[in-house]
Amino acid sequence: MQYIKNRMLDRELKKGSAELLILSLLEDQPRHGYDLSKLIEARSGGVLKFRVASLYPLLYRLEKRGWILGRWIEKAGQRRRRYYRLTPAGANVLASQRDTWREFVLAISRVTGVEHA
Amino acid sequence: MPEWPDDVAEELRQHLDDQYRELRAAGASHDDALRAMADDVNAVRSRRSRLRPELIAADVRYAFRTLRRNPGFAIVVLLTLALGIGANAAIFSVVNGVLLRPLPFRDADRLMVIWGDLKRPGLNDIPASAGEYVDYRDRSHAFEQVSAYDTVGFNLTGGGEPERVEGAVVTTTFFSLLGASAQAGRTFVAGEDQPGRDDVVVLSHSLWTRRFSANPAIVGQTIPVDGRPTQVVGVMPAAFQFPDRSIEIWKPFLLDAEALSDNNRGSHGYTALARLKAGISRQQAQADLNAVTAAFKADHPGNYRNGFGATLRPLQEEIVGDTGRPLMVLLGAVAVVLLIACANVANLLLARAASRRKEIALRTALGASRGRLVRQLMTESVLVSAVGGLIGLGLAAWGVDLLIASAPDSIPRIQEVGVDARVVGFTALVSLATGLLFGLVPALRASRAPLNDALKEGGRAGGGGVHGFAGRALVVSEVALSLVLLIAAGLLIHSFTRLQDVAPGFDSSRLLTFRLSLPESRYTTFQKGQSFFDEFFTGLRRRPGVRGVAATNALPFSGFGGSRSFHIEGREEKRPEDQTEEQLRIVTDGYFAAMGIPIVTGREFTERDALNQPRVAVVNDAMAKKHWPHESPIGKRVSFSTNEPHWYEIVGVAGNIKHRALEAVDRPELYVPYRQPLFAGWTVRPMYVIARTSADPASIVAIARHEIARVDPDQPISDVRTMDERIGRSLSSRRFSMVLLALFAGLALTLAAVGIYGIVAYSVTERTHEIGVRVALGAQRRDVMAMVVGQGMTMTIVGTAIGVAASAALARLMSSLLFGVSAVDPVTFVAIPLLLIAVALAACYVPARRAMRVDPLETLRSE
Repeated sequence: MQYIKNRMLDRELKKGSAELLILSLLEDQPRHGYDLSKLIEARSGGVLKFRVASLYPLLYRLEKRGWILGRWIEKAGQRRRRYYRLTPAGANVLASQRDTWREFVLAISRVTGVEHA
Repeated sequence: MPEWPDDVAEELRQHLDDQYRELRAAGASHDDALRAMADDVNAVRSRRSRLRPELIAADVRYAFRTLRRNPGFAIVVLLTLALGIGANAAIFSVVNGVLLRPLPFRDADRLMVIWGDLKRPGLNDIPASAGEYVDYRDRSHAFEQVSAYDTVGFNLTGGGEPERVEGAVVTTTFFSLLGASAQAGRTFVAGEDQPGRDDVVVLSHSLWTRRFSANPAIVGQTIPVDGRPTQVVGVMPAAFQFPDRSIEIWKPFLLDAEALSDNNRGSHGYTALARLKAGISRQQAQADLNAVTAAFKADHPGNYRNGFGATLRPLQEEIVGDTGRPLMVLLGAVAVVLLIACANVANLLLARAASRRKEIALRTALGASRGRLVRQLMTESVLVSAVGGLIGLGLAAWGVDLLIASAPDSIPRIQEVGVDARVVGFTALVSLATGLLFGLVPALRASRAPLNDALKEGGRAGGGGVHGFAGRALVVSEVALSLVLLIAAGLLIHSFTRLQDVAPGFDSSRLLTFRLSLPESRYTTFQKGQSFFDEFFTGLRRRPGVRGVAATNALPFSGFGGSRSFHIEGREEKRPEDQTEEQLRIVTDGYFAAMGIPIVTGREFTERDALNQPRVAVVNDAMAKKHWPHESPIGKRVSFSTNEPHWYEIVGVAGNIKHRALEAVDRPELYVPYRQPLFAGWTVRPMYVIARTSADPASIVAIARHEIARVDPDQPISDVRTMDERIGRSLSSRRFSMVLLALFAGLALTLAAVGIYGIVAYSVTERTHEIGVRVALGAQRRDVMAMVVGQGMTMTIVGTAIGVAASAALARLMSSLLFGVSAVDPVTFVAIPLLLIAVALAACYVPARRAMRVDPLETLRSE
C-alpha cells in the first residue's frame, strides 16, 4: 500500500504540483535545495518526499524558465550553497498555480465526497 | 535531462553529503545510512546518459578544469608524454624521410637499377659496361628510358683556387629519365655523348653558388674542367642531388667507338638506370631483360664465359640499402620509451584516481553510468596525450634538426628528413593510442570503485586494492622495459669501446691526408706525374713540422681500394678464373715509415727501387700467412701479366692494417712501388698524399697547398682530413646509433625511477597511519625503512629478472649490431641490472626517509 501511495504522489508531483511546492516555499525567503527537500518532507508530515534525482533538475528547469533565481552564497566556515529565490515572474506563476490547484482540489473533493480541510 | 550542469551536480553532491551526515549524526551506522539513501542514489543512477557531441565538449571542459586544478600532476604527465611522443615522432621522421618517402623524382616507383651478374663468386651485382648499356637501351621493350652514369672527380681551374669536385659522367637521357630539368639553362641533349660535342657540363646548385657566386651569366660561358675548355650549359635546382649530394657537376658520358669496343665490354663501371614503362610490372621487365641479356650473350660469347644475367632492383632499395635495420632498432627503442612513459602516466592516474575516488563514486551516485564515467576519464587521458603529443611534435621538430646535424654521412637521404604531414599523422595516431593505452586501465578501475568506500570520509580503506596490484604491475613492466633498453645501449657502448680499442695497425695521430688527382690531359705520361711528386715531396719535406711525406693510391679509411689478380711464380693456374686476386696498393717510397706501419721482416721501398731497377714488392702478414703459410715470402716473385711477365720480388713483410673499417678482418695486401708501374703505358693515377707532422696536422694544409702551387698552380687538393678524423668518421654511424640508444635508455631509466618513486611515495602517504601505528607499537625506524625500501625493491627485482630474460631472448636481434661483444655479454648483463637497482634504491630511499620520520603521535591524533 505504502508503495502505491508513494507512486501516486510521485506522479502527482511530477504533473506540476512539485513546482507549486517549491515556488510556495520560496515565497517568503530564499532557500537552498537541501533545505527545500527537508521542508517539504517535514511540512507534509513525511508523506511528500522529493528524490534528489528529481529535485535539483527541477530547480534547474524552474530557473531556466525564469521563475526562480539561484545564487551561490558563501558563508565563513561553511561550504558554499546555492540559494534560490522567487522572481516576479515566479510569483505570478505561483499565484496562478495556487488558483488552479485550489480548483483542482475542490473538484476532486466534490467528486469523491472527501471534505476539504 | 541526461546530464546536469556542474551547478546541479555540485548541489546533488552536497545534498547526498548533507543527508549522510545528518543520518550519521542521528546515530545511524555507515551502512544503515547508505541503505537509507539507497533509493535516492539508485534513482540518480538510473538516469543514464547517451553519447552526444555536447557531452564530449562538456567532458573536455571538465577535463581541462580538472587538470588546471592539479598543475603539478598536469606538468609531470605532459612532460613525460611529450618526451615519449616527441622521441617517437623524431625517429619516425627519420624513418619516414629515409625509408618511406618516395624518392624526389617523377614516378619514382618506376625507377630501377640494372645489375649484372658474371656468374662468378663476388661478381654479382656489378655495374654495366658501355656496350651493355647500349644493348639495354636499344634492345629492351619494357623501359621508357635507360640511362647510365659513373661518378668521377673533376679538377676545376681558372678563376680562384684550383678545386677538385665530385661529379658524374652521365648519358644524355640521365636527367629526363629522372624527370629533372635545369633551374637555369638546360640539361644535356642527344648527340652530346659524341666526340667533339661532349665538352659541356651541368653544375649543381651548390657548386654554382659556392664557386660561381650564383652568377646566372655563367650559363653559356666556358670554364676549364680537367684542363679542357668546357661550356656550362645549365644549373640544376638545389633539390636535385643524384647519385648523392656530394655530386656537384655532370658531364656527358662519351659513347665513342673506343667505349663501345669489344675490348671495353668487360669494363663494368656504369650504374644502369631504367624507367619502367607505365603499366609494366617489375616481373615483366625482368623477363624482357632476360631476353636482352640472352641476345647479347650470344653476340659476345668471349665476354661471358661463365654466363651472364641481369637483375632489376628498385632505385629506392638501392639508395636506402641496409640503413633500415639500425633505424628500426631505434624506432623500437623509442616505442619502448613511450610504453614506459605510458606506464608511468597510467600509474600517476591510478594514484590520482584513488584520491578522486570520492568524486568518481559521487558522480556514479549522481547517475553517471559506468560507461559514462569511463568515457569522462578517457576524455581526460586522450586530452592529456593530445596536448602531450602537440608539445612532443614541437620537440620532434627541434630534435629532427639536431638529428640531421649529428647524423653520419652514411645515412642516405638524411637531408630529406623533416616533419611532414605523415609525421604529424603518425604523431596524432601515437598520441591517441597513448591516451587510450594509459587511460583505459585506470578509468576501468576507478569506475568500479564501490560506492560505500566513496562516501566514507577519508576513504582510506580499499585504497591499496584499487591502486595496488595494477600499479605494481606497471612499475614492474617499466623496470623490465627500461632494462631491455639499457642492456641494448650497454651492449652498443661496450662494442664501441671495443672497437675504439682496435689498433688500426698504423699510427693515426698527427697524420694529414688529402687527395691529389693530376689530370691526364697535362700529365700525359707516368714520368711527368712522378717528377711532380718528387718535386712536391722534396719541397714539403724541407718544411718545418713535416716529418714524413708519402702517397698511396688506396688510403686506409678513404673508401678507396681495390684488388687485382696476379700469379705467383711456380704456381701455374689451370684456368684464368683460378688466378689469385688480392688487394693491391701502389705506394711511394717511405710510405710504411710515414704511416707508421711496422716492417716485420725485410725492408720497405726506397727511391732506389726505380723503373730501371729490379722490381720489388711488399706483402702484409695476412698475405704471407695465406700464400706462404710454411715458408718466408721473402725472395718469392709475383707478376701481373702472364704474357710478358715483370717479376716483382718480395723484399719485405709489413704488419696488417685496418683498411676499410676498424671492425674489418685483416685482408691480404700486396704493395708495389709507385716508381715501378705494373705495365708500360701506365699513366698518372689519383693518389692520396699523407704527411706525418710534429704539430697539428691542420697547420700543414696551407703549406702543402703552397708547395703544390710551386710545382703546378693548377692542381687542387680535395678530401683533406687528418687520419684520426677519417677513423672517427668510419665510426660515426655506430656512434650515432649508440648515442641515440643510450639517450633513450637514459630517458627510460629516468622514467622508471620516477615510476618507482611515485608508487613508493604514494604508498607511504597511504600507509602513514599504519606506519604510525607500527612505530607506536615499537617498530624501529630501520624496520620502517626496510619495509618501504623492500616494497620498491621487490618490484625492481621482479622487473629486472623479466628484463634480463627478455634481453637474452632479444639478443639475436642485437648481434648484428655488435662488435667483439657477445649479445649476452656477461659484463653488460651484470653491470646494467646493478646500475638499475642502484637507481631504484635511490628512488625508494627518498620516500623511505619520509616514512621513517612519521611521528606516531601525530598520525594517531589526526585520526
